[in-house]
Amino acid sequence: MGGEKQWVGLAYVAPYVIGLLVFTAIPFGASFYLSFTDYPLLSAPIWVGLQNYIELIFHDRTFHRALQVTMTYVFITVPLKLTFALAIAYVLNYKLKFIGFFRTAYYVPSILGGSVAIAVLWRYIFADIGLVNMIITGLGFEAINFFGDPRYALFTITLLRVWQFGSAMVIFLAALQSIPAHVYEAAAIDGANKAQTFFFITLPLITPVIFFNLILQMVEAFQEFNGPFIITDGTGAPLRSTYLVPLYIYDKAFRQFDMGYASAIAWILFAIIMVLTLIAFWSSRHWVYYAGDKRS
Amino acid sequence: MANLSLRSVEKVYGNSFKAVHGIDLEVKDGEFMVLVGPSGCAKSTTLRMIAGLETITGGEIRIGDKVVNNLVPGDRGIAMVFQNYALYPHMKVKNNLSFGLRIKRTPKDEIARGVENVSGILEIEELLERLPKQLSGGQAQRVAVGRALIKQPEVFLFDEPLSNLDAKLRASMRVRITDLHKQLKQASTSSTVVYVTHDQTEAMTMGDRICVMKDGHIMQVADPVTLYNRPENEFVAGFIGSPEMNLIPVALQRNGAPALTIGSQTVTFGNQLASRLSASTGDDLTMGVRPQHMQMVPPETDNAFSGTISHVEFMGHEVNLYVDIEGHKFTVVIPGDHYNPSMLADGAIRLAPRESQLHLFDPKTSQNISLA
Amino acid sequence: MTTTLSPDAAAALEEANAHNARTRRNQKISAVIRYVILAIVGFIMLYPLIWLVGASFKTNAEIFASPGFIPQSPTTEGYERGWDTSTRWNFGHFFLNTLWILIPKTIGTAISATLVAYGFARFDFPGKKILFVTVIATLLLPNVVTRIPQYLLFRDLGWLDTYLPLWVPSALAGDAFFVFMLIQFLRAIPRDMEEAARVDGANTIQTLIFIVIPLLAPAIISVCLFQFMWTMNDFLGPLIYISSVEKYPVSLALRLSLDVTEAFQWNQVLAMSALTLAPSLIVFFVAQRYFIEGISTGGVKG
Repeated sequence: MGGEKQWVGLAYVAPYVIGLLVFTAIPFGASFYLSFTDYPLLSAPIWVGLQNYIELIFHDRTFHRALQVTMTYVFITVPLKLTFALAIAYVLNYKLKFIGFFRTAYYVPSILGGSVAIAVLWRYIFADIGLVNMIITGLGFEAINFFGDPRYALFTITLLRVWQFGSAMVIFLAALQSIPAHVYEAAAIDGANKAQTFFFITLPLITPVIFFNLILQMVEAFQEFNGPFIITDGTGAPLRSTYLVPLYIYDKAFRQFDMGYASAIAWILFAIIMVLTLIAFWSSRHWVYYAGDKRS
Repeated sequence: MANLSLRSVEKVYGNSFKAVHGIDLEVKDGEFMVLVGPSGCAKSTTLRMIAGLETITGGEIRIGDKVVNNLVPGDRGIAMVFQNYALYPHMKVKNNLSFGLRIKRTPKDEIARGVENVSGILEIEELLERLPKQLSGGQAQRVAVGRALIKQPEVFLFDEPLSNLDAKLRASMRVRITDLHKQLKQASTSSTVVYVTHDQTEAMTMGDRICVMKDGHIMQVADPVTLYNRPENEFVAGFIGSPEMNLIPVALQRNGAPALTIGSQTVTFGNQLASRLSASTGDDLTMGVRPQHMQMVPPETDNAFSGTISHVEFMGHEVNLYVDIEGHKFTVVIPGDHYNPSMLADGAIRLAPRESQLHLFDPKTSQNISLA
Repeated sequence: MTTTLSPDAAAALEEANAHNARTRRNQKISAVIRYVILAIVGFIMLYPLIWLVGASFKTNAEIFASPGFIPQSPTTEGYERGWDTSTRWNFGHFFLNTLWILIPKTIGTAISATLVAYGFARFDFPGKKILFVTVIATLLLPNVVTRIPQYLLFRDLGWLDTYLPLWVPSALAGDAFFVFMLIQFLRAIPRDMEEAARVDGANTIQTLIFIVIPLLAPAIISVCLFQFMWTMNDFLGPLIYISSVEKYPVSLALRLSLDVTEAFQWNQVLAMSALTLAPSLIVFFVAQRYFIEGISTGGVKG
């Protein structure tokens, strides 16, 4: 609003500025500092230079394993979830009756998915004698030891996240619905078939939203904690096949109170997320269409 | 060679609303056909059925000699210019132009030639590298036309393409499109055009023939001059021409010289009118006279209607007079130099309809009974 | 207006009409296929939840006897026993605990996010650009980096084993997502009405309360609803900060019951799981419009 004294706006955002400083900015810096210390919580932090990082990068087998599991988890989960979300949004984006009903049904898992109760439910579904195995054996196949076999354990927690594709789907659906009908009509007149229309018109026009979802889902997936923690009682069993990096950070920080080392792990994870985000941003100008400003 | 013919074409929507009532229309090869009518008359629906964007629920559409009902839009040999241009927002102008050709896997050099050719004709060469959002309305409009042109379709379809432009630009685009059509016709390339508009000025100035529609029916198909001078029914009479034709209930006496009575006033006409009258369901008719054809005559003149001027709009080269004759409102247009403010002193005026330009409509059928 | 058709044309017309009928049939088939896909995928997705509810009314013996969800001999035993828990407190106590976190957190979020969004969307002030960049950055900043120092901070403040660490940051507009969402909503609302109010002599706070908040109400409701869900689902926060069982919110209590009873009392765990999901589910079904709008606006315009 014109003519206001500058402090008026500042007064309104003051809560945010305080919160930002106290709960985000300072902890952010502190965490970086701590990652160069040995800090067993009860005594003061001692500067150890790069020692934590050297240990992590060159020696810590548990960390290497956790990182490998996390990467696998993220690189399977994110594309799968986005593909699912887009595919269902595409099917929903027609003038069908009960669209609202289906949209709601698909959205429910996203609302509940992060909760302890769902993780508990997952344990029961994939237990040795659980729901899925009852169905599998009922169909005459051999039961699968989901949580005992490292090959399947990661799959179950992957599925838990993919199952929550609803929020990404709602975003995709809104984007699909915002594409004007006449653009499709122009494509039809130009002779494009369904596949051509999808790949040359629809997909390019929703790239901003694909990009947005990609970043958001990636950042979230790297930090997944509740599911594997509850499903495996925090162990990341079997054979640490579901032991994601955030679980390791939790163990180091809040079970062993090794705050310096835990901070260093957090920073490596952060750096990986940052690099991937930057790659995404950097590449985005080659594949993301920006509807933004008029005239270049 | 591509004439376009619609036979008994119907459109019934799912809720059993009948939008188009079995229309028949022949558009000749090379003809510029305008579909005009008020909003809701199904002119756009008709165009979209020709394009294949709407399914038809009955009847047949032919382009050239093939029935196209079964064909998807891309296979019909048509191109379309949309009201809001419908440019692909994520593609540069050159890719917008060439999209249809690329879809058909046209050789690259042929595409390049097409783009060059079309952008030359429409003077959009310097826009080729831009995105649609970087174009002005007029530029986007030209690109949209170019996108149609490049495909060398058998039939061009225009859906109110000028309605989003300001008045000045609209006038110049009108000329540009008509010129383009002439050029194509001279080059004897395909040039059949179906052009939808709600604007009668566009219709009258651009069309070789005009198809006037109302509520999913065709009211009349004719060239502009015929449409203006010989409207077949009350609707066309009222729709074409500005200000609107006066349509006033009158009583007709057919014995001897035809005479028309409004209230207590009767005016007698001569042979010209008598000779073109055909049968009607009764003698209570609707008289149609354009405001320009109500002639102001001196106060002492016999055989004219007298009325009172209630309101005047002075516009310089002409003047609109709003006249009350026995409780009926007439609009009269007189040349500016015939106007004198003193006329307003008592407001009395005498008016004689020009006999050769007078129409009589049967109020039951709305048909013009003075065309014989 | 129909003209008489030649026999040849009449035949073509008939053929065309037949084709039209075929097209309409094909469209119907395509719609049916879509429904079938949607229904099957939807059923598979929701079956775990349906099964959960069914199983919570089963006896322990029956739960892993068949994959069906309808209990043979329905019992509320799971609920009754589960409700009592193995601790000195029943589940009602833990629900109340959650409420004590929910209330200040939701209200605090609504107020602070509204104020801050209003400040960003409607005023100019020094450093606005940089501050707005931090909103986006925080949106993407992994919490994992700040968690440890935050813990140390709360320890030094003496806030461990209290609810303060769980809601105070949110009450200072700490959830960038909500601030961002409200800014997006506000930007879409024309300023005319606010300007009219200012001309009528209202100050910025009056304008906010009487003009902006009523217009923004749907968005603020979505903020509250999302915060409600997230708080119900939050597990790591309480896990780190709450140590005495007496103060456990439902998420921790549920996990506790998992540790203690899971080996044999399946129906109790399932019953309590269903119970902890119920508030979220009810709120979602009552107010789903706000969720969908909230996420669509925050997402697409981002």
